[in-house]
Amino acid sequence: MAAPTAVPPLQMPFVDLILPYRSLSIVGMEKNTGKTVCLNYLLRRLHERGTTVAVTSVGIDGEQVDSVYATAKPEITLYEGTRFITSELHYRQRRLVSKITAVDPQRTALGALVTAEVLCRGKAILSGAATTATLRRQIDSFEASGIPLTLVDGALSRLSLASPTVTDALVLATGAAVSANLQQLVSKTRFVCRLVGLPAVNPTLGGQLTHLSSGVWCIDSEDRCHDTGFASALLVGSQTADLFRHGNRLFLPGMVSDRLLRQIATLPQIKDITLIARDFTKLFITPETYADYCRRGGKLAVLQQSHLTAVCLNPTSPQGYRLDSQRACAALSEALELPVYDVMKI
Amino acid sequence: MTVRNRIKTDEAFQYAVQSLELLSPVGHRRLMSLPFCNDVTHLEQEWDRMDTLLPLLQDTAHAKPLAELRHQLMSLHDIRNTLLQLQSHQTMTEVDLFEIKHLAHLTGAIRHNLNLLGVTDLAPLPDLDTVYHLLDPDNTGIDNFYIYDSYDPSLAPLRRALRQLQSDNSESQQAVSDLLERHDAIQQAVIQRLSGLLAPHAALLQEALETAGYWDLLLAKTQQALDWHLCRPQCGDRMELRELVHPQLSRRHHELGLRYQPVDITVQRGVCLITGANMAGKTVLLKAIGCAQLMAQHGMFVAARSATLPTVDDVVSCIGDEQDALRGLSSFAAEILRISDNLRRSRRERLLLLIDEPARTTNPVEGRAIVRSLATLLSRQEGYALLTTHYSGLDVDCRRLRVRGFDETLSQQPVNAGNISSFIDYSLEEDLSDTAPREALRIAELLGCDEEMIKEAKASL
Repeated sequence: MAAPTAVPPLQMPFVDLILPYRSLSIVGMEKNTGKTVCLNYLLRRLHERGTTVAVTSVGIDGEQVDSVYATAKPEITLYEGTRFITSELHYRQRRLVSKITAVDPQRTALGALVTAEVLCRGKAILSGAATTATLRRQIDSFEASGIPLTLVDGALSRLSLASPTVTDALVLATGAAVSANLQQLVSKTRFVCRLVGLPAVNPTLGGQLTHLSSGVWCIDSEDRCHDTGFASALLVGSQTADLFRHGNRLFLPGMVSDRLLRQIATLPQIKDITLIARDFTKLFITPETYADYCRRGGKLAVLQQSHLTAVCLNPTSPQGYRLDSQRACAALSEALELPVYDVMKI
Repeated sequence: MTVRNRIKTDEAFQYAVQSLELLSPVGHRRLMSLPFCNDVTHLEQEWDRMDTLLPLLQDTAHAKPLAELRHQLMSLHDIRNTLLQLQSHQTMTEVDLFEIKHLAHLTGAIRHNLNLLGVTDLAPLPDLDTVYHLLDPDNTGIDNFYIYDSYDPSLAPLRRALRQLQSDNSESQQAVSDLLERHDAIQQAVIQRLSGLLAPHAALLQEALETAGYWDLLLAKTQQALDWHLCRPQCGDRMELRELVHPQLSRRHHELGLRYQPVDITVQRGVCLITGANMAGKTVLLKAIGCAQLMAQHGMFVAARSATLPTVDDVVSCIGDEQDALRGLSSFAAEILRISDNLRRSRRERLLLLIDEPARTTNPVEGRAIVRSLATLLSRQEGYALLTTHYSGLDVDCRRLRVRGFDETLSQQPVNAGNISSFIDYSLEEDLSDTAPREALRIAELLGCDEEMIKEAKASL
């Protein structure tokens, strides 16, 4: 049954690869890149191994039908003993037997967050933490109750406030939905992997910045933060030079746009400038702009660096394109120097 | 008026209230809905409970049950709305049932620790064992919940069949769906039955929730009394405060390592006029008195070494610039309207009225006349009124106090704008004259104001 893939010996070791981590998030580059298939695969394999895991999410996922393309979407299957967190609304809609172990009274738009343990396997919709702090608390609390690994259904979206980068490791899901052209797929995926690997600022400065949730902050040579007066990087307009009155480093807690990066790239002191984003999910920049920014000497950094462990590929796009799985996996693996797995074949 | 509204207008009281370290949303809700209380018996009972708790909070022998109790209060969820739904016979959800079980479990645990502390009687929590057993049919004693097999004999075989079907990997989606549907229908029927069985206990559950919230509030108040060295007030027919402080300012001064001078004051029913130089702390004194009265009548201890306080119907402060530009009123108009309203109120109610420099923004001739008439009228009322003023020559038959004020001998350092407050003696003395102190120019001089201005002013005196 098993079709050959690019890295046959690593097929099963995918699970071995992630076992040493305390928490792992699975982040999709686009919708329909097989994030859910990958999550389901891991849940099944871990269950077969007898490893108890917990699963939570940022934002809403696991809808039965993809809300954008109306294609059938793989559901999340949870096995006996698995702990999961979902909103009250989706807890009621679950199709499994489970026992509630805790309720977080902090309300989300979909009600309180329910933590439960699966008694009889089945399917459920996960909807989870709205903030990074909540997500971190959930992971800590699972760890405290003896669960060795928490999987996070991550979102790569400007709408998500919670950052999947709080996990120890990350799996990136890519696929034909990103591009049906293999060369483009490889280059786009490589670009995201580069962003995932951006260096983190020193922990002391990182600790200071993590509490700033909005605005644009200039950091001087002594690591002191100065409010630039802009409520968001989107409002800076053409006044980019004003931003660097106190130093050459800028912290942008919200989204970092392509336009801002282009403007900053034209500043005379670009060689000394470092832009600090919260994490790679907040960077909405194109490879071309980033390449130009780097060529001129500009640097990017993040508060939290992510450890990318593997890439998952969904060779099928929602429009029906199908990539040659073997070739795609091989090409990606070579370009990224990471294990790549076809989610439909693992 | 409840605490929620009171803290919008009274800054000092707001500080005292918001410093309470409440652990649960229920405790917070209880605090915010506390009314201003003028029932002496009720207040005495409240202070008695705090007096009972005070030594326990200091005794290390009680540290463990206290820490447990606090931990339990932290996990108290405010499920008031769920309980209202239960009372009106609505069907609960599994999450609701978990919450009810959690409350029943927590109530038992809190009762246990209150018992260890020997204080159960201060505010007894109801026994919710029946509720807990309804939701823990297998006697697990664990704070989890689901529709247990034992609720319905058909649940266990159904669940076995479900597991079997799924582990066979036959992947017969239809068969799984059918089984799940039957399973969910039985679960729903159990939930409905449980909701019916729990409904008669709704009132008891509400009582448990509210009492647990009250314990949170009581512990927070007592802890604050301990940490801030507050004193238990006595109810009396006069106001007698020893070493009164403004809690926010005194704590701020303490943090900055600055001197804060507590003040003694005794006031009888009627009017008391307070005079004193600028910067002598008259306004702070009024705020501290208002705060003490508010804390006392909300069942708290007060920021003084000892306090005898009358019970009044309300505390009203007219302090600060009340310009009401929205209504098109000048500061004088807004102030005089507010004073007049409260004068009318004082004919019907026993008020503690605190008015800071009334009529200061108008011409001194009429201003003096207004203060005089105000003092005369207020002295005929049942309540207590404290007025600060700079006006002299007020021939009113009332008590007069004067802040001792500027005293160059208080410190060795040269006086400047930064340290002038350390040269002020904030204590009060009986003032037998009817002249207000004239220290404005001297203070302006010490502050380094324009010499020519001061010279001119002195010349025209």
